[in-house]
Amino acid sequence: MKYESQGIAKMYFIAAIGLFVGQILFGVTMGLQYVMGDFLFPEIPFNVARMVHTNLLIVWLLFGFMGSAYYLIPEEAERELFSPILAKVMFWIFLVAGALTILGYLLVPYARLAELTMNDLLPTMGREFLEQPTITKIGIVIVALAFIFNIGMTVLTGRKTVINLVLLTGLVGLAVFFLFSFYNPDNIVLDKYFWWFVVHLWVEGVWELIMASLLAYVLIKVTGVDREVIEKWLYIIIAMALISGLVGTGHHFFWIGTPGYWQWLGSIFSALEPIPFFMMTLFAFNVVNKRRRDHPNKAAVLWALGTAVMAFLGAGVWGFLHTLAPVNFYTHGTQITAAHGHMAFYGAYVMVVLTMISYSMPLMRGQKAANETAQKLEIRSFWTMTLSMVAITLLLTGAGIMQVYLQRYSADPLPFMVVQDELATFYWLREVAGITFLIGLFMYIYSFFVKGKEVEDVE
Amino acid sequence: MRETFTKGMARNIYYGGSVFFFLVLIGLTVDTVKRLPATDNSENLTEQVAEGKRVWEVNNCIGCHTLLGEGAYFAPELGNVYTRFGESTEAIKAFIKYRPVEGIEDRRSMPQFNLTDEELEAVAQFLKYVDGVKTARDWPPNIQG
Amino acid sequence: MTTEELQLRRAASSSLFSLLNLTALPIIGFLMLLLIYKKTESDTLDRYYAMLGIKTNLVAAAALLLVTTLMILLGGFESVWTWVYVISYFVFVHAMFILFATWTMVRSWTGKKLTKSFLSK
Repeated sequence: MKYESQGIAKMYFIAAIGLFVGQILFGVTMGLQYVMGDFLFPEIPFNVARMVHTNLLIVWLLFGFMGSAYYLIPEEAERELFSPILAKVMFWIFLVAGALTILGYLLVPYARLAELTMNDLLPTMGREFLEQPTITKIGIVIVALAFIFNIGMTVLTGRKTVINLVLLTGLVGLAVFFLFSFYNPDNIVLDKYFWWFVVHLWVEGVWELIMASLLAYVLIKVTGVDREVIEKWLYIIIAMALISGLVGTGHHFFWIGTPGYWQWLGSIFSALEPIPFFMMTLFAFNVVNKRRRDHPNKAAVLWALGTAVMAFLGAGVWGFLHTLAPVNFYTHGTQITAAHGHMAFYGAYVMVVLTMISYSMPLMRGQKAANETAQKLEIRSFWTMTLSMVAITLLLTGAGIMQVYLQRYSADPLPFMVVQDELATFYWLREVAGITFLIGLFMYIYSFFVKGKEVEDVE
Repeated sequence: MRETFTKGMARNIYYGGSVFFFLVLIGLTVDTVKRLPATDNSENLTEQVAEGKRVWEVNNCIGCHTLLGEGAYFAPELGNVYTRFGESTEAIKAFIKYRPVEGIEDRRSMPQFNLTDEELEAVAQFLKYVDGVKTARDWPPNIQG
Repeated sequence: MTTEELQLRRAASSSLFSLLNLTALPIIGFLMLLLIYKKTESDTLDRYYAMLGIKTNLVAAAALLLVTTLMILLGGFESVWTWVYVISYFVFVHAMFILFATWTMVRSWTGKKLTKSFLSK
């Protein structure tokens, strides 16, 4: 660790992993509710478990992105963080606000939470992923502004590398597009149209800039490949991400009452969206192959390669599967969507944060890499979580194909609930995969505490 | 990677491409918003429907259901429930009103939201309004949603 | 161009056409692979990659076309389970072949053959 303030990342990463555990606990709860419909009803109805699961995901990824930025930006900018104290204060504000929000979801009925938080003054609650009370959303904006101010000042008064500028752009974009969450018109078509300006332009837009820059950073560090080469690749990747993803937003505008031309524009541009992910795979494979050093942190190298591959599979391949309008007409809003969503989020964003944590945690603890036993366990946890996610995705894909056949495509379609009963076997097996995923996560956490033979730094 | 394709060129493609397609997205957005009145059923967007949308939101219906295919996949699509229930707001209201507090044993259960008659009427009118949105190819493919 | 450079170029071309046969240029990619193979000499890097491309695509054809056809014939075109298996299987296995072909293409750029483990040089 070259700069002391990089160490602030540690608290952010610990919070991130803690919230990740919470996310998965609620995930396996929902998985059980899929097959035992009244499990925990009425104390924790499905929709409450779901909003806790999705909101924890988003918040822990944000903690992960912030921690990653606090770790890499001082090093890239070649100066200490502008205000370490601001970063520490914001950490606690974000954590407490987040915890209170989650407790709000769990302890009071949602309509009551809306009343208590004066939603009527500026109603923004009740939309998917944006369930947070308006006051929480305002809090998120304040935390985001403080964060961007802090790292922005650090970059602007320090060395401006392509990596830290692309990361900064991605993070600013994240903050700017979040503002659309305050726009909640009565017109349902307008509501849906601009909702995607948060969700799509986040995960298929600016978040890809964040992911690509973090991956580039770790790959420079673990392979020693020339920065010029990596930065050129980074520009090409993000160029393709935005060229395909901006108009590619249209693949969400097929069936919501928007003009028919979106079926063409959305299909064509979003069909190109796998390209940046394929390029990331090519890029990661290439720099690892041409590496100039064997970094002792083998786990981090594996996480980096795995991120590129799983993002390509989950976001690229599974996304492509249902992105063309003629296919999407039948698959829209089915388990196919859930299959894609899970692998895409895990591959692209969960894994890139875990890659950063894997790389930086040992350094923040004063070592080049974790000891051999710890790395072996961490690598095993990588495979456990990753293969579990592949299983979840394949099972939900199977469920989705059956759902589409029985409920959408058939000449004699069956009602939703009847079809869900037919899918029970898929859901039970998915739950098993969810449990093994949770086990993998516990293995991952334990790897940070396991003792063993220290690695030597072999150059 | 060839030396003829430089980092500078890559950077320019990124800047140029992003700005260009962002402007295209804005242009398409302006055009879409202009065309919406033809399909968005806004002529039926009354105060009561707006109130119904609020009821829909503060009870987090989207947390279990899909609306025009978007939302959660635990419970049925409600964009066409007005049609599916025989074009009856009374049927929609009755379904919501008579959910058992303790749920249905072993089945996916919907909470009892204790809505007032006014709220029930509003959310039913909201769902009728959403059913009237003219979706492309008349999505969903069939009555089951 | 030296012989070594020519071999490296052919090796890279072979692996590119192998990937293209699996994706955008089926059949044509395979024909290109055969043409390249004919130009190569025994025990060279380019022959290795041309042969690897040919083998990969023959196995992929069996795994993707033959197996799915059998699944449809045995399971019945009308059965939902046939499509559950066929679509999931095809998407997953096809993606695995693409990843393998991508890795071999990247490997061919370094002038080395494949090794047992990813992380060995």
